[in-house]
This record gives sequence, structure tokens and C-alpha cells, in this order.
Amino acid sequence: MQAHNTGNTEHVLYAAHKKIYPREVSGHFTRLRMLSVIVLLGIYYLTPLLRWDERQAILFDLPARKFYIFGLTLWPQDFIYLAALLILAGLSLFFFTALVGRVWCGYACPQTVWTEAYLWMERKIEGKRSKRMKLDKAPTSAAKIRTKVIKHTVWIAFSLWTGFTFVGYFTPINELAVKLGTASLGPWETFWILFYSFATYGNAGFMREQVCMYMCPYARFQSAMFDSDTLIVAYHPERGEPRGSRRRGTDPATAGLGDCIDCNVCVQVCPTGIDIRDGLQYECIACSACIDACDEIMDKMSYPRGLIRYTTENAAQGKKQHIVRPRVIVYAVILLVLCGTLLTNLFLRVPLELDVIRDRNTL
Amino acid sequence: MDAPIPAKIPLTHQVISVLWPSFAVAIVATGLFFSAFHPRDLVPFDLDIEVSPIAAYSIGFFLFWMLGVLSSYGTLYFTVSNARFLGKQEH
Repeated sequence: MQAHNTGNTEHVLYAAHKKIYPREVSGHFTRLRMLSVIVLLGIYYLTPLLRWDERQAILFDLPARKFYIFGLTLWPQDFIYLAALLILAGLSLFFFTALVGRVWCGYACPQTVWTEAYLWMERKIEGKRSKRMKLDKAPTSAAKIRTKVIKHTVWIAFSLWTGFTFVGYFTPINELAVKLGTASLGPWETFWILFYSFATYGNAGFMREQVCMYMCPYARFQSAMFDSDTLIVAYHPERGEPRGSRRRGTDPATAGLGDCIDCNVCVQVCPTGIDIRDGLQYECIACSACIDACDEIMDKMSYPRGLIRYTTENAAQGKKQHIVRPRVIVYAVILLVLCGTLLTNLFLRVPLELDVIRDRNTL
Repeated sequence: MDAPIPAKIPLTHQVISVLWPSFAVAIVATGLFFSAFHPRDLVPFDLDIEVSPIAAYSIGFFLFWMLGVLSSYGTLYFTVSNARFLGKQEH
């Protein structure tokens, strides 16, 4: 995890960006990630459409300075709860990182979720990895321009929907839709829709893994929560090395080879463009695309699966594993105490809130 | 930090390292500031101007962002120029 301590790697970190064309992959973890992407996008786009007592169920009504979350109404003086919620979110991240590593990065981070969605659209329009690479290298032609125009149009449309939904969390989305239909959106509403759309388009369409590598603070400090019992995606070098290509049906032992056939598929599917066989790296978002890719190859070669797999440092070295350990207990206890305090406070708060409003009105 | 700061940091990375942290800080600052103050209380000298809350929050956000940009740019500038200065002294 201490990859960037030498001058040499620092320069690698700042090397000119090479576009990454992640190869399509299928398998157990890919399906799991797709499911996560669909569920999370569904939550994002559908939440503003939910109703609760004649109003939008979740609405951060900035002009009225009231946040509605289902039956709950929060006022500006309740800002402390928002702060507490952020602290809770941070602590949960610590807890889950210690337990299962960067599962957030691989399955739930908005950057991953939207990148997957944009990549999916790109694949549908431009084709497979080899086709996309060929298209980008090809000289400008009518066909190339057409494909690119279609892709960006679809991307921009999706971005605009994303931006519209985002503003729909702050302005009642029904009114917003009516205003949009009658072309009477306010200047700031228009601005924020475009701003958010542009950010989505840029981050999911172009920046992609660079956001994880250069902008994400979590990627930089997540290793602090890691220990030898944290779940990681790892290559099994003892089994795989010496790597080398071979004919199908060759017995690796007699050929003096390990199980890795050096097909490079694990590198081609990687959305951050690293080689997992080089060991645990800070760029790895633990999306497990390489696990699925390698398992497929192992099946084809009739070798056992799991040359690249989810494991822990201790498990990989044949040591005893500990799921419950001081680090996990400490994070869990702090998390539970904070959760309990927040909930108790929220429930005790309601009658108080009414009094405060009345005082304000009489003044 | 043993790693020497490279003489050339790509412009995009410089822009990101200035715009991005200040953006995140501006969100927090805007939230804190406007939960304490109502936009209508901020109009100076009893001026008779009508500013919509969304406009006030948006302008407030950009002001905070701008302040953050100034600060982040200062950090970037001093870090890089100091590193170059130290690098020159060592050689």
C-alpha cells in the first residue's frame, strides 16, 4: 500500500494520462456490481418522485429553509444532525474498510456507479474494447463522427436527466418539470442543472479513474484502516508464477510454469489500468473485475478458480484470520454509540421543535 | 514525505488541486453559514433589493468557493516554489 514514496513512482503518478479502455467482463462479481449500480441509480432517480402527505417525501427545501425526510422535518437549527450524519457516514466507511476493504470504491461510490453506466452506454454505441480502440485510432470519417456524436448525445441526455434530478432534491420536482415543459425555469435552477450535468458528464465520461487517483481523499488514506485481516483483491503468486503462455492441455508442472498463462486479460478489464499481479496497489478500487476475468480463463484452461481472488493478507500467508479484532470492535462501538445518540436526540427533539416555531411566530 | 516534488506538475492536476478541495470546503461553509444566517438579514444598509433565497445561497457558495480557491492556490504556489528553491540549493 505504500506505493508512492519514491521519487520514481511519484513521477509515474504524474505521468501523462493514457486513456483506459476497460474490456467487458462477466461473472459473479460483475453481476453483483451491476446489481448495485442499478439499485443505487434507481434510488437516486426515483427518490424525488416519492410522495409523503401531499408533498415530496425527500425534499431539501432551501427557499423555505426546511429539510423534509419522509415524516421528519429539519430546520436550520438542526444543522447539527446533518453534521452528525456526515460523521456517521465517515465512521461507517472506516468500519467497512477495516472489515471488507475498498468495497465502497468497487460497488457503491457514485464515481464507480456513474462510470459503469457511462461505460455501458459507450459499449452499446462504440462496441467492444478492441473496436473502441480502433475507432479512436482511426482517421476522422463520417462514420466515426456519427458514432461519436451519438455517444455524446446519449451521454449529455443522461447527464441532463441527472442534473435535473439533482435540482429536484432542492426544488419540488413536479414544479420543476412543469417549469421545464413551459420553458420558465429560473436562472439559478437552470444554472445548477447545467452545472451538475456538466460535472456528471466530465467525471463519468472523461475523468473516470483519474478521479479516484488524483481527487479522492479516501483512496489516499484508506490504507490507514487496513490491517492483515482486511479483505483485499489479490493475485496468488506462489500458484501463478512463473507465468507464461502455453498450449491448452499442457501440464504446467512439467512445463515448469505456474498457473498464470500471462494472457493479460486481468490488466485489460481493470478500470484503473493496473496489473493486479504486481501486488496490492493504491489505484486498485477492488472492483474485482480481474477476479471474474481470471476465473473465466482458469475455467477455459481447466485449472481451479481463484488465481486472483478476495483474500486477506493473513489468509494468503496461511495464517489464522480474525474477523473480530480490536480495530473492528472500536469502530463498531463508536458507530453504535453515535447512532444511538443521534436517534435518541431526534426522537426527543420533536416536541421541542413545535415550541420554538411558536415563539418565532409571536415575535 | 521523501518524494521530491516534480518540477512540472501537469496543469490539469494543478487546477484540480486548487478547485476541488475549495469546492468541498465551500459546500460545508455554505451549509454552516446559511443555517446560522437567513439571506434576508444579510442585505446591507437596508437596501431595498429583492434577492431570491436560491440566488443568495448560490452567490454565497461561489464566494466561499472563491475564498477557498485563493487559499488553495496560495498553498500550491508556495509548496511548488519552495520545493524548487530548496531543490536549487541542494544542487
